[in-house]
Amino acid sequence: MNVPTGLIQQEGSAFGFGELEEAIVLQGLNIRNDEAKAPLFGTGRPAATLEMFPSWPMRFKQTPRGSSKSGGGSTDSGSAVNTISSKTENQLEPESPISTKNTAPLDHQQEMMASDVSRTGQEKRRGSTSEKQLDAKTLRRLAQNREAARKSRLRKKAYVQQLESSRIKLSQIEQDLQRSRSQGFFLGGCAGALGNISSGAAIFDMAYSRWLEDDQRHMSELRTGLNAHLSDSDLRIIVDTYISHYDEIFRLKVVAAKADAFHLITGMWTTPAERCFLWMGGFRPSELIKMLISQLDPLTEQQVMGIYSLQHSSQQAEEALTQGLEQLQQSLTDTIAGGPIIDGMQQMAVAIGKLANLEGFVRQADNLRQQTLHQLSRILTVRQAARCFLMIGEYYGRLRALSSLWTSRPRESMMSDEHSCQTTTDLQMVQPSQNHFSEF
Amino acid sequence: MHYQVDSWGYYMPRMSMGSDPMERVAKLASESAVVIFSLSSCCMCHAVKRLFCGLGVNPTVYELDQDPRGKDMEAALMRLLGNSQAVPVVFIGGKLIGAMDRVMASHINGTLVPLLKEAGALWL
Repeated sequence: MNVPTGLIQQEGSAFGFGELEEAIVLQGLNIRNDEAKAPLFGTGRPAATLEMFPSWPMRFKQTPRGSSKSGGGSTDSGSAVNTISSKTENQLEPESPISTKNTAPLDHQQEMMASDVSRTGQEKRRGSTSEKQLDAKTLRRLAQNREAARKSRLRKKAYVQQLESSRIKLSQIEQDLQRSRSQGFFLGGCAGALGNISSGAAIFDMAYSRWLEDDQRHMSELRTGLNAHLSDSDLRIIVDTYISHYDEIFRLKVVAAKADAFHLITGMWTTPAERCFLWMGGFRPSELIKMLISQLDPLTEQQVMGIYSLQHSSQQAEEALTQGLEQLQQSLTDTIAGGPIIDGMQQMAVAIGKLANLEGFVRQADNLRQQTLHQLSRILTVRQAARCFLMIGEYYGRLRALSSLWTSRPRESMMSDEHSCQTTTDLQMVQPSQNHFSEF
Repeated sequence: MHYQVDSWGYYMPRMSMGSDPMERVAKLASESAVVIFSLSSCCMCHAVKRLFCGLGVNPTVYELDQDPRGKDMEAALMRLLGNSQAVPVVFIGGKLIGAMDRVMASHINGTLVPLLKEAGALWL
């Protein structure tokens, strides 16, 4: 049986049973009034039918008038209609009561409707055989069914629209992920385990990858600003913008720490090489200053003192935080280890309470990092600060590049000469003044 | 660092014991150069104590969980800081410095040590 494509693919017209019943009733009438087919489609109600599903009348016209089985009519309809109309046709023959035709395949609604139609059909037969109008009750029900069908169509439309927008969003997210992957931020196993990270962590990771893109932009602004020999006040604006850019990542980390402090503290948001140097969810300020000291000259004596003092203060603060965290770990160990577990749940509840303090430590560490950067910008002149921040950005860029190279290194135990040459070439590409590693 | 055990108050009445917890906080804060309000179970309090000890300071520490009026003082400190966390909180020379983040910030920007010296808690 060929299924008419028009009916099934009709845009916006849900295959509701409102139309179905109507069609069946009309078809029933149509069959009984063999010779009088024209009036049905001439005026009034049939015209209303035409409005709703334009192709139906065509099908009706194609229905072979002569055959009571209306096999042709059945084939023109959808497979569902097939089932129903063939069964309904059977029921229009006096010998076949509708109940026996309502077999299991039909669902409840179809049964109800079919039996409705049966009653209607029987009423028709009982009434005047030449009656062409439908009585009020049928009219009302048909109207109700039309309404239901309309609602059903609207619902379907809304659902499809929702699906469409979800699809678009999904492809956007996939694009973002692809981009992040190509930049080496989500590495191998991490990307595969995306489903295993918390939503807070995922949100932060995406925000962080955007921040890194912004970072590249800010760095090139710093570079051009320095090379263009801008006035101090102009350069100050660029430097302050860069500091605000850092303030932003610290704000993001506050939120992330609240959502998932573990994610920050394990460094799963950074690359392996950065993770190697991780301290309490980020860089160690005193180490950063140590890296910068040699590159920042010429410095005045006062500046030198300021920088060394900053390094010293930072070390003291880091030490204090580290000891605090150690005490937290010790306390946690005491809570969950050793001794008989008298009340396991109570123990766990206490442990969870202690773990919550982790957020505080990550926050204080980030606070320390932020304060250190601000203090640096206070000690240095504008030009020095610009160079300093550029150096910081480049340093971490190189660490990330190193991570990328590391993960993509050939895994054979014996590296051929070709391979080692290639790696060396890659490393040569990573130059201080060039931005090649932005590709990583 | 030395700890004030204030349960003695029952046996050795102090000179002026304000019934208002905030008054008490202020009073205790003014009695020593560096005063830290803490909870013995709090790890961040441990960190701030380590910081001052590392600087060579001898702060006076009040463990509020060991103080009969500790709960009230905690509540008062929470209101003072506008924070859900009452401790640790640091006073230097009777003046409020703040919680851990303010203490760290002032150490990094170089204002903490001069304050300590001014209060007589640190000598060159």
